[in-house]
Amino acid sequence: MTALAGGALLVFFIVCAIALVLSTLVSDLAAIILIGWQGGICSILLMLAGAARLTAGADFYQPLWTIHGVGQLTLRLDALSAVFLFAAGLVYLSCCLFAPGRMMHSRNRYPAKRYAVLHFALMISVVLILTAGDALTFLISWECMSIVTYLLVNHGQERQADPYAGYIMLAMSEAGFLAVVIAFLIVAGGASGLSFSALRESAAHLSSQAEWGVFILAFFGFGVKCGLVPVNFWLPRCYTASPAVFVPVLAGVTLNLGFYGILRMNGDLVPLHGIGPGLFALILGSVTALVGILYATTETDLKTMLAHSSIENAGIIVAGIGAFVAFRSSAIAVPAAIALTAALYHAVNHSLYKTLLFEGAGEIESAVGTRDMDQMGGLIRALPGLSVVFLAGCLAIAAAPPFNGFVSEWLTLQTFLRSALLPSALVKVIFALCGAILALTAALAVTCFVRTYAMSFLGIRRGDWHFSVTGLSRRARASMILLAAACLLLGILPTFAIGVLDRAVEPLAGASATTVLVPPFFTATESNGQLPAAFLQDFHNLGAQTGAPLLPGRGLVLLLRGSEQNPVVFAMSPSYGVAAIAIFLLVAYVVVGRLTRRRAAAGGEVWAGGIPRLLPEMTYTATGFSNPVRVVFQAIFRPNIVEDARETVAVHFRTAIHRKREEMHLVDRLFFHPIGAAFGGIARLLAGMHHGVLSGYVSYALVFLLVILFLYRLA
Amino acid sequence: MSFWFWNGITRGIQSTRYPAAPETAPGVSPGRPVATMFASAEEAARAAANCPVGAITARDREAVIDLGTCIHCQRCRFGNPSTVHWGNDFEWTRWPAAKKTLEPLPAAFTRSLHIMVVDAGDCGACLHEIKQLNNPFYNIHRLGMFFTATPRTADVLLVVGPVSENMREPLLKTYDAMPQPKRVVAVGACAISGGVFGRTFASAGGVGMVLPVDLEIPGNPPPPLAILHGLLVVTGRKEVLTKGETSLI
Amino acid sequence: MTSAPPSHSPLDVEGLTVLLEERFRAGLSVSKESPGLVIRVLNLSLLPVVSRVLFWEAGGSFGGLIVEERLREWRLQYLFLLQNIGWVDVVVRAPLDQKTIPSIVAEVHAADWYEREAEDLFDIDFESHPRLGDFILHDETWQEHIAPMRKAFDANAHNFERKPNEKWRPKLVVKDPGSFAMPVGPVYEGGLGEPIHFLLETVGEDVIREVPRLFYNYRAVEKIAEGKGVSEVLLLAERFSAKSAFAHSLAFCQAIENAAGGKVPSRARRLRVVLAELERLRHHAGAIQGICQSTALSVSEAHAAIIEEQLLRASAAFTGHRYLFGLNAPGGLRRDFEETACRDLLRAIDSADSQLRTLEERLRYSSSFLDRLEDVGAITPENARDLDLVGPVGRASGVSRDLRKACPYATYSEYQFDAPCEQEGDGYARLRVLFAEARESARLVHQAVNSLEPGDSSIPVEAPASTVGFGWTEAPIGAAMHGVRLDSEGSVERYRILTPSFRNWLGFHVAVEDFAFQDFPIILATFGLSATECDR
Repeated sequence: MTALAGGALLVFFIVCAIALVLSTLVSDLAAIILIGWQGGICSILLMLAGAARLTAGADFYQPLWTIHGVGQLTLRLDALSAVFLFAAGLVYLSCCLFAPGRMMHSRNRYPAKRYAVLHFALMISVVLILTAGDALTFLISWECMSIVTYLLVNHGQERQADPYAGYIMLAMSEAGFLAVVIAFLIVAGGASGLSFSALRESAAHLSSQAEWGVFILAFFGFGVKCGLVPVNFWLPRCYTASPAVFVPVLAGVTLNLGFYGILRMNGDLVPLHGIGPGLFALILGSVTALVGILYATTETDLKTMLAHSSIENAGIIVAGIGAFVAFRSSAIAVPAAIALTAALYHAVNHSLYKTLLFEGAGEIESAVGTRDMDQMGGLIRALPGLSVVFLAGCLAIAAAPPFNGFVSEWLTLQTFLRSALLPSALVKVIFALCGAILALTAALAVTCFVRTYAMSFLGIRRGDWHFSVTGLSRRARASMILLAAACLLLGILPTFAIGVLDRAVEPLAGASATTVLVPPFFTATESNGQLPAAFLQDFHNLGAQTGAPLLPGRGLVLLLRGSEQNPVVFAMSPSYGVAAIAIFLLVAYVVVGRLTRRRAAAGGEVWAGGIPRLLPEMTYTATGFSNPVRVVFQAIFRPNIVEDARETVAVHFRTAIHRKREEMHLVDRLFFHPIGAAFGGIARLLAGMHHGVLSGYVSYALVFLLVILFLYRLA
Repeated sequence: MSFWFWNGITRGIQSTRYPAAPETAPGVSPGRPVATMFASAEEAARAAANCPVGAITARDREAVIDLGTCIHCQRCRFGNPSTVHWGNDFEWTRWPAAKKTLEPLPAAFTRSLHIMVVDAGDCGACLHEIKQLNNPFYNIHRLGMFFTATPRTADVLLVVGPVSENMREPLLKTYDAMPQPKRVVAVGACAISGGVFGRTFASAGGVGMVLPVDLEIPGNPPPPLAILHGLLVVTGRKEVLTKGETSLI
Repeated sequence: MTSAPPSHSPLDVEGLTVLLEERFRAGLSVSKESPGLVIRVLNLSLLPVVSRVLFWEAGGSFGGLIVEERLREWRLQYLFLLQNIGWVDVVVRAPLDQKTIPSIVAEVHAADWYEREAEDLFDIDFESHPRLGDFILHDETWQEHIAPMRKAFDANAHNFERKPNEKWRPKLVVKDPGSFAMPVGPVYEGGLGEPIHFLLETVGEDVIREVPRLFYNYRAVEKIAEGKGVSEVLLLAERFSAKSAFAHSLAFCQAIENAAGGKVPSRARRLRVVLAELERLRHHAGAIQGICQSTALSVSEAHAAIIEEQLLRASAAFTGHRYLFGLNAPGGLRRDFEETACRDLLRAIDSADSQLRTLEERLRYSSSFLDRLEDVGAITPENARDLDLVGPVGRASGVSRDLRKACPYATYSEYQFDAPCEQEGDGYARLRVLFAEARESARLVHQAVNSLEPGDSSIPVEAPASTVGFGWTEAPIGAAMHGVRLDSEGSVERYRILTPSFRNWLGFHVAVEDFAFQDFPIILATFGLSATECDR
């Protein structure tokens, strides 16, 4: 298995390099086909590599070149990398199916050859990041990834609207990269080499201040990529300004790199001994999630809304990671495992449904010509296929069963219920508060995506657009169905997914999540610490053995048992739930059909109080739907409503009332605006020095000389 | 803090027992002119001339009333030599002249009736009397009748007013929005015959000009109990007492 | 636009005449004719300025606009009511082919709807009026330039070819990305609300702009009255708005009596006071019931409904009709009432009065109820004066005019009563005014019944041919004026009804804007206006 994984990986590199070289040589059309086919093959290879490693036991280790005086570049594919590799592969498979259709359509506007080159370059650098075995490989490929991402973001026509978006992303990426480099330097201070194993050894001897320093630097450095408050202000602008072919990759693959970085640095390399860093990550993650979803709920541009929603999901994942670190540093291994499982599960889920939603948004934009949800409506009649798949994506992200979002939200919230095991009361309170914030976030997420789906697809058409595309191309349909099916499978069969994720979780957390979450009821014959005999007996008495030959050894139920003092059991099974729903629906259909026989249904127009026609301007807009949220959270939004009422005769007669809402983002208002203003103030003060008078400059030189002499005299 | 619950309980039950028992409280119905036998044909003719809308016809010595045209101006009752007799009942519902029968709603609706009202140019009296059906005196909820907010769930359409032109389309849309089985009841003299407004460029002259009417409730306005009687007829719980153009009593 | 207080203390006739002649010299002529002063404006361009003087500087109230198409000219009569002087008519004559008349809307905002009505029905253009069109004859149902009130138009043309406009869209005022207009009606509340189409323009929570479209109940009463005899038109006068039927029929009879110049017997006049106040009491009980219903305080709604039904039954027992139809005639009442019947009526009124007082006490201590009414739908005294609101709505915002006191009719000048007035102008103020007026009505009925003397209840009056009459009452909703011109055969040539609802609907949007959706039905109920009275 390990050999298979390693082989797949190496073949991937070869194929991708060939594709990279080929795309420089061939024509545009051929480049598009190359993306489709070569990209597809590469993605499948990645999935193969990831899957193979996750089923095998040992890491794949491959030394590459040795750079004289610095160290050896190595590749190491361990379980954590494999999880992210598999997810990246699946997302890339969908994107490679999706992109050619999109690019074929707009071939005249984008130089496809350039895109193909950058696409493959990005693929290689992403995989190198994920499979880097030493700091040098990691950092070099990270930098490559940043630059290539910047080039890809600036590739299309969307940047006309916001030409600085890519540049801001690059600037933030570089700042984050700098922080990460410094973190690595701190860790590598006393290390024998640059490989991860060497760093792991030296990190064990770090002082607690150094640990904090490494944590903060790495956290915010990688946090730039995944979108943590306050370093995420580039994310909505950049996602909105990126071309529609690239945004799915941006949201599905590069976002995950941030999580991978945090986990690798703070979860794997540097074992944090205090509970502080974990709590910090937890609080920051929760706040990020809340801010993200608030802005998503009130945003009417489809792509920007999805970008804010990515921030929200990133917050949830980072909160899970924070809980994991907190539990692990308090040496409570089992909840740490559950927390890490939840975070990894959510990361995988997020890449799937967010990619699906972004692809859907791209299709909508090309069909309708606008991204403004206030102008949409009634798309379900025009794009019926897309509406089904998009609905699957919305349900998944709103954490509705039977999709995957439900499982990972459930697991995340369950970890917060475990906080009773922590030692200090303050920590428990913090956990409870963050749990409450995440619950609020989950509720707002449902609002947000109900609004998205309803205002875009349902109702009557509000805008003046015309359709330019008659439905989805076959490939785009296939790519989105693939992702939707993956969402559904991960939702229905979590017991398998957890078993697979456990390979990554167990080494890091020190306990196996599978045994806790999916205990082997069917296969355990005698009791052990986890499963007391009485419990097993009850279980068998309830007849739970029925159907045992048909079900997998560990059953299809997710289970969380409380402690001895609190022996409560939380159980959940999406698989059985889906089966039950299906049976009920079938029975209901048959029974109602029998009872009502043949009833003629008469259709008519919408009842609207007797007016001649229900006009589009009389239906709710997306802004109107989310207005209560805006009003309730006014303190966060602080909108400035500029009203210009045009009067003709007097106040009594108004022919037009123009209102504009001007808002400054919370993060800008609290962090960057004051910082910017402070710097501006300092600059203004300093500008006073540049008065242009020659004698003044001469006097500066004199004063400086005197000061130097004085200091020299003192020393 | 007012204790509304206690206030309500101590106020007692005000509801009438109709249709289980007759209702004879004063003021419940304005009454109506009834066919009167005069001493001579001239007197009958004089009585007929009293009516400004021609609801009284003299047939030899008898003055006969068309209740559907009567606008309750009471000019035939007071202050002129040939006054007609006055009856105090309120069960005035009748079939429209063109139809001789009504198919009441199926049995499922007998104790569960949903009513939609459309004001199509009404002066406000008929509409107000319909609204009084919800007050504690008449309380149609005890009979299983309710007013709905939307025609989609309505069984009976009560139309008041002579159907002003501006309300013609909304009335038709309301009717179209109601599912089968449905019945249309014209309430009040204006709805039956146009009342004092008649048929002009601004009013259609009665609901019958716009919709197929199943039942008519004469009066200007018919008191709430008359409307209640009409609703009971629609559900088949009561019979029509006045038939066609002449009154039986 | 100035909204300064009158710059002169209340003028009398001489003072006003002097002021006008001083200012406008030869542009107009002032003469004293019944029932008040008539100012004939000879120079059309002076019309807005004269209106401003009368409305703002002399502190008058705008009564309405009467447009008549005479043989060769238009006759426009603008009514003003000034303190100490009474009715002041500004009369303008213009040749029939004159297409535009200067609009006074910039000076007197209360004239807005009157000019729109004249434009719709007579096809007169009022220059610089900001929003003519789509008023009574809705643009989606009728084509332009029908002018139904012109003599050439036949009211009985029931085969009239209407050309509906399929593409019509309402003109929305709010231009905010994401704003929309929530439609309510014309069939709303299950049809138990009078047909009005509201467009609530909003961005989600608060109503930013509200536009009511009325006239769904337009039956062209003024048009179909033309050519009919007085006794037939009396039927129309009492039946176009049933809740104020007696008040409107009284105004019409007073107009005919005014034209005939006859005197009405005092017994009839006192009985008229009894019946008018009975109607007011019953109307206010119904309005209170509507307010309680809108706030969903069911028990209080039931109590108010009981009071109203008791009054309806008392009306039927006393007069034979629950809504007091068929009682007035020019020259008095159609029938007389016996002593025992009057005593029974007094008992019923006392019972209703005491029940209303109890209800008011209880409502005053229901904080959840008051929360929905206080500070909701507020109209400031300035706005109320600017739009010249009348009736309980105006009196709740400090406009204290009551025609029973300002221009007494029947025997009101003999009795003691208050016209209660509040300053806040919110929903609770309007409710308090309703309760206070109900108490005053009960007091008036007592005084009127106790002052009854035996005598004739009517002396029939024949209005002479070719006369003009003007009558007014304080209807339950506010000031109502009826004007009648009789032709050479004694039939009605022009009948004009100026209703209080028409006036107050103009101010409705001021109360509704900037409040949440949920407050809209409550504000609607506290206004207690009648769409059918406005639509005629």
